[in-house]
Amino acid sequence: MRAAASTLVTGLYPPAIRDRWGAEISRQVAETGLRSWPDTVAGAVRLWLHPSDWPETFPGQTRRVLSIALAAVAAVTALLLRATPPSAFLTADPHRPVTSLWLVPILLAAAVAVPVPPHLADLRRLLLRLALDAVRTLAAPAAAVTAMVLIARSGAVHDATGRASPVLVAYYWGTLALTARRLCALAARVVHTIPAAPTRRLRASLLLLGTGLALAAAQNLPAAQDPTSVASTLALATLAAATLHTARDLVTTA
Amino acid sequence: MHSNDAQMLVLTVLADGPLHGYAINVAIEELTGRKLGPGSLYGALSRLEARGLIAPAGEAVESPERHRTMRITDTGRDTLRAELEQMARVSRAGLRALGSSPA
Repeated sequence: MRAAASTLVTGLYPPAIRDRWGAEISRQVAETGLRSWPDTVAGAVRLWLHPSDWPETFPGQTRRVLSIALAAVAAVTALLLRATPPSAFLTADPHRPVTSLWLVPILLAAAVAVPVPPHLADLRRLLLRLALDAVRTLAAPAAAVTAMVLIARSGAVHDATGRASPVLVAYYWGTLALTARRLCALAARVVHTIPAAPTRRLRASLLLLGTGLALAAAQNLPAAQDPTSVASTLALATLAAATLHTARDLVTTA
Repeated sequence: MHSNDAQMLVLTVLADGPLHGYAINVAIEELTGRKLGPGSLYGALSRLEARGLIAPAGEAVESPERHRTMRITDTGRDTLRAELEQMARVSRAGLRALGSSPA
């Protein structure tokens, strides 16, 4: 039990640190027990905020990990926004384009971080490989989403009573979480196949993503009246601060 | 770096010779009276390695217990010396201002 918990805590560290010190961190956390957890978790958070402190196991490892982290932040943002109650300030509305203002830097961030193959001659082969990867990685969430749509169309959602209702809600959120997880796995496969974007572009992407998240948090402030909205606004602001801090760390080292 | 900085402590104990993570923490405990938490210790080791101030010590890298033995590099020694000299200057000035003579 203690060994499993220490492995879990060690898993919070960036890959380069796990590669080097993972076994020793796990051993020390297992020996010291719960009282070492705050320092261990704080150490992991500090390292994620300072990618310049990651020694590289292979060239380009930091850029690769940052690209996957960008996808993870985007996925968590999507889940957070889904959990946020609809509001007149944040929910995209074609009649009020200003509500989608936060989305512009986030979409730009995604575009800026896209890796470009070094040799365009290989493009066809790479695209075929990525398409196969996408099919393999997204098959399970696609099946789960299809089942969800079929359940919704069957009317079972409206008729659900008693224990069935929380099960359906859990299935819905489980499907969204699985989709987010697999999209991150796909991002990992992409940057395994094509070299990740250079540090300068990743830094720009982090700055844009952080700006978008900060805008989303600021736009949602007037709607933050109930505990769910307050929590999601705070979470968006925290993600924004973390993303901008990481970008600042890259500025000092690029 | 500051005098109580985990990185400074790690460099100081490695100046005596190569050590692995756990032994580094034992040496720090002997020096300061308390061990560093795993997050502080391995965070400092990662930062120092990323900046080239410490490096794996030869064949000892892959021991059966997966301990990584680290050594201080020449750059690490220069950095440590500069920091200690600066601290010594500050210490002398502080003690003079307090009316005590440095030991």
